[in-house]
Amino acid sequence: MLNRSSGVWICVALAIGAVLFALLATNPYYTSLVVWILTNAVLASALRFVLQIGELNIATAAFFGIGAYTAAITAVLFGWPFWLTLVLAPLVAATLSALFGWVTLRAKGPYFLLISFAVTEVIRLIYTQTNAIGGNSGLVGMFPPMAIDAYYPALAVALLAATLFALYGVERSDLGRMFMAIKNNDAIPRSVGLNVVFLKVLCVVIAAAAVGLAGGLHAYANNVIAPADFTYFVAILALAYVKIGGEGHPFGPVLGAAVLTLVGQWVAGISAWENIFYGAVIVATVLAFPGGLVGLATRARSLVIRSGQ
Amino acid sequence: MSAAASAPTGGEVLLRAERLERRFGGLTAISDFSFELREGEILGLIGPNGAGKSTTFNLISGFIRPSSGRLVVMGRDVTGASAMTISRLGLVRTFQHNSLLSEMSVIDNILIGTYHHRSGHERRMEKVREVAGMTGLTDHLKAIAGNLPHGLQRMLSIAIALAAEPRILCLDEPLTGLQGAEVGAALDLFEALRTTHGLTILLVEHNMRAVMRACDRVIVLNYGRLLAEGSPEAVSRDEAVIEAYLGRGR
Ligand SMILES: Nc1ncnc2c1ncn2[C@@H]1O[C@H](COP(=O)(O)OP(=O)(O)OP(=O)(O)O)[C@@H](O)[C@H]1O
Ligand SMILES: [Mg+2]
Repeated sequence: MLNRSSGVWICVALAIGAVLFALLATNPYYTSLVVWILTNAVLASALRFVLQIGELNIATAAFFGIGAYTAAITAVLFGWPFWLTLVLAPLVAATLSALFGWVTLRAKGPYFLLISFAVTEVIRLIYTQTNAIGGNSGLVGMFPPMAIDAYYPALAVALLAATLFALYGVERSDLGRMFMAIKNNDAIPRSVGLNVVFLKVLCVVIAAAAVGLAGGLHAYANNVIAPADFTYFVAILALAYVKIGGEGHPFGPVLGAAVLTLVGQWVAGISAWENIFYGAVIVATVLAFPGGLVGLATRARSLVIRSGQ
Repeated sequence: MSAAASAPTGGEVLLRAERLERRFGGLTAISDFSFELREGEILGLIGPNGAGKSTTFNLISGFIRPSSGRLVVMGRDVTGASAMTISRLGLVRTFQHNSLLSEMSVIDNILIGTYHHRSGHERRMEKVREVAGMTGLTDHLKAIAGNLPHGLQRMLSIAIALAAEPRILCLDEPLTGLQGAEVGAALDLFEALRTTHGLTILLVEHNMRAVMRACDRVIVLNYGRLLAEGSPEAVSRDEAVIEAYLGRGR
């Protein structure tokens, strides 16, 4: 069996490999593909992070957009320095998510899901109706500084990978244990003096900071953003990554994002069928192997071990 | 009411409920219910099914708010206060149903109880080991709570509460489903908690023999109202109490 620390070391090696690839590959198609895979991995991991408290947060898509718009507005409209805009992206997303969480997290399950969906679409509509930020066509012209332009994909990959490790670290900490307890039976943490509402808000805020940073990095990677990039569908895709990779394991969403993003490159060729394809894959996965790819690997390994005895 | 028998301890009043009332829509689950819990005592709260015992627990622990009445814990008015506030004042309750974190390990269950007052993993684990020792869970720390035998699950729900270091421990039917020897061990634990750890206990229990053995004083609820109060012996001979239990076919 792989133990936990060797699993972490493999992930560190994978992350270093991804950074090196982004640094050394000369074809910009491949470097931006690596950035996009890690962006999706952060989106999926953040969605799963909030699933720890038992809530499906569609507004993950909204906070990704808020991070992207924050970086784009401060960079293009205000002309603020690159690093400052990248710090503001997660900060603004986290702050707004605290407000969002404080108001909405008294609702649970389907109610919370619907509210988070509505909030996502309302925020998108606000972008489209605000001419100062480009309305429907969005904003263009977010470029990393000349000095680091060549290294930008590697920088983005490094920051996104660090974000993934940070989410994992929180999950493994005392805080992660409290999140799990809230999902399992929130009456128990309440009965021993924990502030359950605050913990739930904190969970949403941490996840929003992660996707906020990813959004900021996406704005610079893409150079152009538009409201249509931040619909609820971003969260649905993230959910697909989580389900296909495996919800039970922190590496699941990363694996799911990698596999589906790569497959998506190929499916995009038959564009009209793209969403049908994703839908079919989600349904098939959930029905056929509910543990996702990671669950499948674990089952296969235990079969091998058993037959080896 | 046999009020004379109701003052076995001269301890300070840790919990006072004054004319509590709780309605659920048209149903009045608790009405005009007053009682006191004094330091160092084991107070029994009994009554037929549906009498309002668990509702009383929900009220005094801040899980639900009273429709009217007043609640004082450790000298502080906590009427309408949150479960967090009341728990941090030192009143911790267990649950009749769903009383643990079934998908988590025994260690994790007990650890959850330590978070609001202990810092540092080592100090928390120290508490986990201490509490697990008292509740007979030392050999099961790694087990998933939902897979434990029933008796140990009941003990684990008490262990979670103890990890929060309460001064008042409210137990909602902790003996349900326990086997003979387990009941004896649990009663010994309650007595030890009172004498060596200075806890004050409010015990809801249907096992009358256990109530007689464990409690200094008993209050009886019927249809959400106080029916009788006194020593276990006095209450068990009380005509109205016998009538309430027999009248419901128990
Ligand atoms: N949340 C609620 N909503 C509506 N009615 C409730 C609620 N909680 C309790 N009740 C009602 O209040 C009354 C008292 O219930 P409670 O659970 O307090 O009884 P109990 O004395 O604990 O009974 P048991 O011995 O069966 O555990 C019952 O009629 C019950 O149906
Ligand atoms: Mg009850």
